[in-house]
Amino acid sequence: MDNQAPDKNPPDKPSLANTPPDGSLPADSTPDEKLVEVRGLVKVYGPATRALDGIDLDIHAGQIFALLGPNGAGKTTLMRILTTQLRPTAGRASIFGRDVVRRAAEVRALIGYVPQEMSVWTDITGFENLLIYAKIYGLPAASRKKQVSEALDSMGLSGFAKTLVKTYSGGMIRRLEVACALLIKPKIMFLDEPTIGLDPSARRAVWEKILTFKREFGTTVFFNTHYMDEADLYSDEIAIIDRGRLVKIGTAEELKRSIKRDVVRVGLGPGAVAGQKAIVRLRALPSVTEVGVAESELTVAVGDAETALPAVIDVLREESVAIAKISAEKPTLDDVFMAYAGSSLQAGPDLREVRSVRRQIQKG
Amino acid sequence: MNSLREMMAMMELELRRLRHDRTEIYTRAIQPILWLVVYGTIMSSIRAIPTGGIPYLAFITPGVLLQSTVFVSVFYGLTIVWERDTGILKKLLVAPVPRYSTVIGKTIASGVRAIFQALIIVPVALLLGVKFIPRPLNFLAALVELFLISGGFAAISILVASFMKTRERFMGIGQAIIMPLFFGSSALYPVKMMPALLQRFAVLNPLTYAVDAVRGLMISGDVSHLARDTGAIILFDAVMFVLASVSFRKIIE
Repeated sequence: MDNQAPDKNPPDKPSLANTPPDGSLPADSTPDEKLVEVRGLVKVYGPATRALDGIDLDIHAGQIFALLGPNGAGKTTLMRILTTQLRPTAGRASIFGRDVVRRAAEVRALIGYVPQEMSVWTDITGFENLLIYAKIYGLPAASRKKQVSEALDSMGLSGFAKTLVKTYSGGMIRRLEVACALLIKPKIMFLDEPTIGLDPSARRAVWEKILTFKREFGTTVFFNTHYMDEADLYSDEIAIIDRGRLVKIGTAEELKRSIKRDVVRVGLGPGAVAGQKAIVRLRALPSVTEVGVAESELTVAVGDAETALPAVIDVLREESVAIAKISAEKPTLDDVFMAYAGSSLQAGPDLREVRSVRRQIQKG
Repeated sequence: MNSLREMMAMMELELRRLRHDRTEIYTRAIQPILWLVVYGTIMSSIRAIPTGGIPYLAFITPGVLLQSTVFVSVFYGLTIVWERDTGILKKLLVAPVPRYSTVIGKTIASGVRAIFQALIIVPVALLLGVKFIPRPLNFLAALVELFLISGGFAAISILVASFMKTRERFMGIGQAIIMPLFFGSSALYPVKMMPALLQRFAVLNPLTYAVDAVRGLMISGDVSHLARDTGAIILFDAVMFVLASVSFRKIIE
């Protein structure tokens, strides 16, 4: 994964420079404008299921934004409202200042969308899929085929353009879907669980391509995921959603720091022993919450490793404890999720709850 | 403009699908061919049904053609249910085109498939000795009628699909729609032979008008009711398109 480190610096205030000449960006918009603005959004299914329970959210242009939460948390509902498929029960949402309910048609012309479920026809070729969508989207006939070929190329699929989609792998289908969403050169791309069910190498390949076009076009990306490593690696900002509420928003770094659960591991030198006095003095440090002793290692739970480290080292030096190595560990996003939502992201939600939400959705 | 664009694209999609795989068209041809080869041949030898001088096999050919096209279009609603299970419908809804054009585009696509279905049955009828009126214009007009009625039935199936959210439920309903319409039309016997109650049903049954129109154009040459028949079919289409477009919202949510 480490060689896949994404570009964490969004291209210098993007999107305007990269707007195609025919782009329908309003003249009064500025790069700093909130691209997505959500206020007090509520969605109720049936009599009792509050899928969204008052969401407030701002997303600025040029970001990769991750909505992280377990299944059934409301991620898909939020995305379906933002992509004009569902009407909110209360509250409002707008994209580029256009209300997603009242100006839905305008919003649709600005957004790309890849639903969680497969959204291509498997009984025709990849090229034909994009061609049909290009016609539906109304791409000019003169450049249509060229645009389709370019989109396939940008997703690394040109070699499979003339192959029936039913022979594609899961990762290839996902890339085809992203290529399809790219056809209209959207201002913002909505990806609902873009890598669900893919193996790690296919996941990497999908993300590599998403990051490439994001850099190239300055497209803002909004994705839903329940994979914390994806949110961690690829997003500029993360919102944690649980049971229809946003519990915390920030960069991965900020989120991890905010729960103040860093761990400092001290490997002791050969023959060195951390005496009782050293342990007591460590525990007494204001920044330290817990100290664990193993054979040749001390585990020091601290709020923030960077500020706690000097004090920890000072104590060990003064107590003449030889240090062989020292490392600081940040909490994972799962720890963050645990801290804010009170449950583990990986354990997943109560299955019964998911089923009842599904039923409500199906009943409409 | 946008809607027309989507409708044409949907039609093209269907043609491209057919180019890659026609198995379904062949397997779906088996049932209508049995109607002609087995039922038609046997009933002809009995001569129990007054057909106005037309050989019985020729008399039922339009009905069998229509039954098979209606089958195609009613089960087309199934593809909508399937596309809702996948993400295709969601993506179409987010495309910058009006929603009703997705509905109408689908029904047009089913018409395309229905015409190909009919074209497979025609040679079988010819082999069995059915004499079609040898005028290309009549033949084309008959295909247009098939296309029109198929659109209305595809719209019915979208309407039903918006209530039946699973494929299994839909299969049963599909049969329950097609067979009564088939038996309650002039497909197999003249309306006059039916019991009074069924006759009243036949008057309201759009399939009766389609059978009458296609039979006039292809077999009997009696096109005196063509305007009335076509009018009835278009009215049926219009009502169904509106209902299907309105109910389409339910499919989405």
